[in-house]
Amino acid sequence: MEARTRLSPALLGWLLAGPAVLFLLACFVFPAAQTLYLGIGARTEAGVMQYGLTIENYRRAFATDLYWRVLLRTIRMATSAAIVAAIVGYPLAWVLARGRPWLSRTVTLVLVTPLLVNVVVRSYGWSAILSRNGLISWVLQGLGWEDPPAILYTEWAVLIASVHVFLPFMVLPLAGAIGRIPPSAEQAATVAGAGPAQRFLRIILPLSLPGLAVGLPLVFSLTAAAFVTPQILGGNFSPLLGTLIEQQVLTLHDWPFGAALASLLVAMVLLVNLVFIGIIGRRINRWAQA
Amino acid sequence: MSDRIPWPLGLVTALLLAIIVAPLLVPIAMSISDTPYIVFPPEGFTLEWYVAVLTEPEAQSALLVSLKLAVVSTIGAMALGIPCAMALVRLRFPGRGLVQALVLGPLVVPLIVTGVGLLQTFSLLGLRGAFLQMWIGHMVVCIPYVVRSVSGALATADPTQEDAARVLGAGPVAVFLRVIWPQIRPGVAAGAIFAFIISFDDFAISMWLADARSFPLPLYLYAAIQRFFDPSIAALSALMVFFALGLVLLIEKGLGIGVRRIAS
Repeated sequence: MEARTRLSPALLGWLLAGPAVLFLLACFVFPAAQTLYLGIGARTEAGVMQYGLTIENYRRAFATDLYWRVLLRTIRMATSAAIVAAIVGYPLAWVLARGRPWLSRTVTLVLVTPLLVNVVVRSYGWSAILSRNGLISWVLQGLGWEDPPAILYTEWAVLIASVHVFLPFMVLPLAGAIGRIPPSAEQAATVAGAGPAQRFLRIILPLSLPGLAVGLPLVFSLTAAAFVTPQILGGNFSPLLGTLIEQQVLTLHDWPFGAALASLLVAMVLLVNLVFIGIIGRRINRWAQA
Repeated sequence: MSDRIPWPLGLVTALLLAIIVAPLLVPIAMSISDTPYIVFPPEGFTLEWYVAVLTEPEAQSALLVSLKLAVVSTIGAMALGIPCAMALVRLRFPGRGLVQALVLGPLVVPLIVTGVGLLQTFSLLGLRGAFLQMWIGHMVVCIPYVVRSVSGALATADPTQEDAARVLGAGPVAVFLRVIWPQIRPGVAAGAIFAFIISFDDFAISMWLADARSFPLPLYLYAAIQRFFDPSIAALSALMVFFALGLVLLIEKGLGIGVRRIAS
């Protein structure tokens, strides 16, 4: 009460946030900047790192057929995962938003549980399901298919496992958006004679676009940056960008090239997020207001 | 609000939920097979693979490294994250927006890039010691979860109660311990559990920084999958699934916090 010196909010704010800020500047921002710099500030020649401004690393990434194909494959995989997650996610999101409380609780729990299971374990579980003598082959053989194709070590396996684990990042925002649509809108459409497909296309889909605009870039980013799942389920034939970065840095010790690839990954993720948050978000708002 | 779910939608939902749990249950099924290799469907019944993996020294030391790492990373992230969350929610100070962006930054940048950046920085600075390096890396990725959880709890706590305590003569420490802390405790607990899980399960940071002496469990499991083909890997995977299910129950039932918060 008496003569206690009162700190100004500004000083107190910085005193409280300061340690975390300093730590993250030193151990997050600086390393990221260092990686960005290494990609344009050094190159590896005959196994020796040469400093000096260069675009050689980026030229190599785009001009070498092998690396270019990995880049394209990463974009294709991340895009497919985002789209498949949206298709699979809508029914779950609708049940989550509109189902009875016990049902939406169950759906949430089942959906989120894979996130708490280690990525290596999940991928291992999928490999046991998708391999030549795994669960799916066993079922198909039981149904009379003599020699079913192996899904393991193909891009399909990576796609399935990526959608599996990143699904909650799609379903939860979708369910949030669907929950905000008044049920009376759907009821009115039903009364007016709209079937389920019409109700979905003309009410649910347009009004849940804000949720989709959150979910799509999230699933894209997480899939594009994955390492373990493509490695275990994709085999050696279809590496993604993460595998390429790991090989360049840990196996070939070409740090500048690895740094350039890492910067490309960041650029890709940021670009997709900005596009969705910025342009599409604004267009949706205009659409929603119109 | 809750409608009847039309039956085709119910069927699709049930099917999707079954597909979601399948890869988590298959390792459990395979771990009890008494064949020296992995088969589907499993044959016979034995728990010897659990004994085998639990008495394997490498697995034990990997588990120990992961537990230690998760504990110190959680403590470190809480020590930095809780005060930061208090500042962000309760105080208006210049640069607040920037601090907010910085604190959530590690969620935006791909983990694999954060990891490779740390590797390059540690080597530049000559900082050695894989455990220390991983500790720092895990703290970076755990801080956002702590800040988000604690901020969420603080935002719902009523600031007028804090003002009331202050008017009645409570000092800042007493206000924190007797008014703020009881209200934010569930949020702090959630943040701590999320931080623990993020660190314990981390692969993308550790893969760059680990060495033979400090080799966390996810890396061990990844290496073991490529080396061993008997059901002991399935047993270890099954144990980790049980661990995750236990965590889900603890968070949902024990603390009454939605598990979904880890994803949103």
